[in-house]
Amino acid sequence: MNIGMGFSESGDQIQAVNDAITQAIVGLGNLQASMAFIFTTTEFANPLVLKTANNLLEGTPILGCSSLGLITNQGIFKHGIAVLLINLDQQVFFNTALIKNINENNPLDNGKELGEKLLYGCKNVHRSLSIIFLDGLTAQTAGIINGLQEKLGRSFPLIGASASDNLTFQKTYQYFNNEVSSQSCCGVLFGGKFHFGIGIKHGWNPLGKMRYVTKSSGNIIQEVDHQPAVKLYEDYLAKDTLELFKELQRISIFYPLGVYLEGENEYLLRNITSIKDDGSLVTQGEVPENSKIRLMISTKDSCLAAATAACQEAKRNLGLQKTKFLMVFDSASRFSLLDKQRAKELAIIKEAFGENIPLIGIYTYGEQAPLNSINYLGQSYFHNQSISVLAVGDQ
Amino acid sequence: MLSLIFFSICLIIAYLGISLFIKMQRLKELANRVAALTNSLEEMDEQAKLIMRTDMELNKAQEELSKKIAGLNTLQELSREMNATLEEKQIFQKINTKHLEDLGFEKALAFLWKNPEKEFQLCLSIGYSQTESTKIRSTINTDRNFYLDLISHDQTASSIFIPEGFISKNKICELFLVRAFIICPVLTQEGDQGFIFTGTQDSQVSITEGDSELIALLGNQIGQTLDNARLFEKTWKSQQALEIKVEERTRQLTQAINELMKISKHKSDFISSVSHELRTPLTSIKGYAAILLTGKLGAMPDEIKERLEKINRHSDELVHMVNDLLDISRIESGKANMKAETLELAPVVDKIADLLAEQFKDKNISFKSAIPDDCRKVLADRSQLERVFINLAGNAIKFTPEKGAISISARRLDNKTIQIDVSDTGFGIPKDAQESIFEEFFRVDNIINQEVKGTGLGLALVKNIIQAHKGKIWVKSSLGEGATFSFTLAAGE
Repeated sequence: MNIGMGFSESGDQIQAVNDAITQAIVGLGNLQASMAFIFTTTEFANPLVLKTANNLLEGTPILGCSSLGLITNQGIFKHGIAVLLINLDQQVFFNTALIKNINENNPLDNGKELGEKLLYGCKNVHRSLSIIFLDGLTAQTAGIINGLQEKLGRSFPLIGASASDNLTFQKTYQYFNNEVSSQSCCGVLFGGKFHFGIGIKHGWNPLGKMRYVTKSSGNIIQEVDHQPAVKLYEDYLAKDTLELFKELQRISIFYPLGVYLEGENEYLLRNITSIKDDGSLVTQGEVPENSKIRLMISTKDSCLAAATAACQEAKRNLGLQKTKFLMVFDSASRFSLLDKQRAKELAIIKEAFGENIPLIGIYTYGEQAPLNSINYLGQSYFHNQSISVLAVGDQ
Repeated sequence: MLSLIFFSICLIIAYLGISLFIKMQRLKELANRVAALTNSLEEMDEQAKLIMRTDMELNKAQEELSKKIAGLNTLQELSREMNATLEEKQIFQKINTKHLEDLGFEKALAFLWKNPEKEFQLCLSIGYSQTESTKIRSTINTDRNFYLDLISHDQTASSIFIPEGFISKNKICELFLVRAFIICPVLTQEGDQGFIFTGTQDSQVSITEGDSELIALLGNQIGQTLDNARLFEKTWKSQQALEIKVEERTRQLTQAINELMKISKHKSDFISSVSHELRTPLTSIKGYAAILLTGKLGAMPDEIKERLEKINRHSDELVHMVNDLLDISRIESGKANMKAETLELAPVVDKIADLLAEQFKDKNISFKSAIPDDCRKVLADRSQLERVFINLAGNAIKFTPEKGAISISARRLDNKTIQIDVSDTGFGIPKDAQESIFEEFFRVDNIINQEVKGTGLGLALVKNIIQAHKGKIWVKSSLGEGATFSFTLAAGE
């Protein structure tokens, strides 16, 4: 496997895509790119940018999405375009797919459809990993993942990112070949000799006693311990619903809900995105009825410690393989929480894998990864507030 | 047997009773423990609530503090960069996307009110396309009175505080395409005033009073820098005008000097040619008078001889005068050949004293000279310096009554210059004539001058000689108290 990376923050979008792709092509040497990952900040989410990229790469499959910020080896950027070109060995197979118009009422079917498309032509090949990018504003991510897992296998390694915008929560974009779309999900399935290690951590700790979700449906928690769900936050933060609503985003970032999962080491975090008039809490991912939940708390230090732990886990899972490149999906909440200390998080990643490790990453509205990724037997879930690190080995 | 059975049953019942009692006791104990644990859990849960509330307040405070520190750092940096600018147009260009992001915003616009055009003009646009900023400018100009009111009342509008009578928060958000904003006046001492707008689309950003204070500081900084730039421009323009005036005046003066020099040259040329023309017939007159006086052409009566002697004497005076005029014109035109050399001053003075010894004796005038060791050598043309001394000392003799005193002294002014004074105890020179006596043909109007003959060229010649040596000459005198003529020469090596 060989790779080439490029980045540009030029204000001229076409110039920027040209610059970034040229750098990546130069990095790849004389080799032909098998596929490309393109990540941009929202202002670059322009069909012309993708068309230019597609022309420059002469039809090489492209996958990617928009984000509020880009993580590269050179730093964290709030404006720009980052490109990763991969030249895969002949022993590695891959297939890319896109599903559009994600149906909010039937996310399971959407997931199944994506799974089928990804499996097309790969049925008799040893399947290794799937990477997906989906609209970060959809409330049915968990359903899509479930559908996908029905086709790919419940414990099949799956890592993904929910695309973000510039924290306006208006529209996110997914890139597939020469197409820019929203409310869609695109992905790649790798098969054959493809080595990788995944690490995911959030750094939040439970506080207070365990509570029970007594009534919920999908991503809406109606009652906790037979009381309107909002009462949980009212009690803990000593604020009424109106005050909570005003500070919802801060509360969502600092004090998410932790869902206890039997057999897993960590709580699964859920951001609160809204409070309904009846006191129900709307979360970014689904919370099943009878779930045991707790309020979670964190500090910047524990967030940074989680980054270290995620890197160590990814390294451990990669085994003896030398890391070829890293792909990082970091929560937009962590972007806000860490603020000036974002650079520290990047330094931690570089310290773990080496100062000059090729690195590409984005800030996301949700992360998909196995909760317990020690031996890939752990099931993939939809996460919030987490940092997931994918270390791809030199095949 | 029956009693044995009964006894056994009693024993069993007693055992069961005791066991039940013990179990009951244990259950009671466990229930107490569970109650205690539940109590602890509740207490811990209450503590957890306390921790969470404190944590939230701490986070808020920390966030606000970090924001303020970052904002102040940015303002300091901006202030430094702005202060280095003295061009009004460049002041707003100093604000860039990074500064704005460090202040917590991604969009900014600045407008200045242009009184002649009666409209707000855009000076800064960050985060907007040209179409967007043009549209916003147009709407602002339609609603200009609201913004002018804000400026005149020095009020800040923000998404947390809208001053009474100002446009609603929602309308501003809609117009500027943001979710949170601050609008702050840019006030100046004079000239155009305006306002700066900063905003963000980030729904997570909530504006605080601290943010408003920071942007107000930025507005003040811009205002002050604008004042400085305008003051500088004003000063610069005045200076330019002054320079032009000085240049013009210098040109006029140079022209006048050239004109004067031209006139002076004409005068010198005229004097020179006239003097030459006069000298030839004078020489003939003097020659014929001398021949007649010898008596070779026949004896003459005493009356004729007396007249001829007068002609001879007056011719001599005229020749002397013509020579002086020629010298003056030569020196003025730079044609005189000055051979500056290092001279011993004392021998020159002594020679003059010898030359004039007879005249000192005739009028019983005492003469003394004082040339200290540090003034021994001067740089001058020997013959011209002698003429200076002869003229000055000769004048002194003329105007000093009998039994008077004349002295020549020297003193060192600095490493390069020596001052020589020729003093007498004569009648002195009136104050108003002290400047004019160095002019050609000027003679002080007094009884002595009416008795003592002179051409009025001696001091003019002296002045020209001294100036040709790059020295200065002046006189200090009071009527009845004598006079001191002083001049400077370069010190010899």
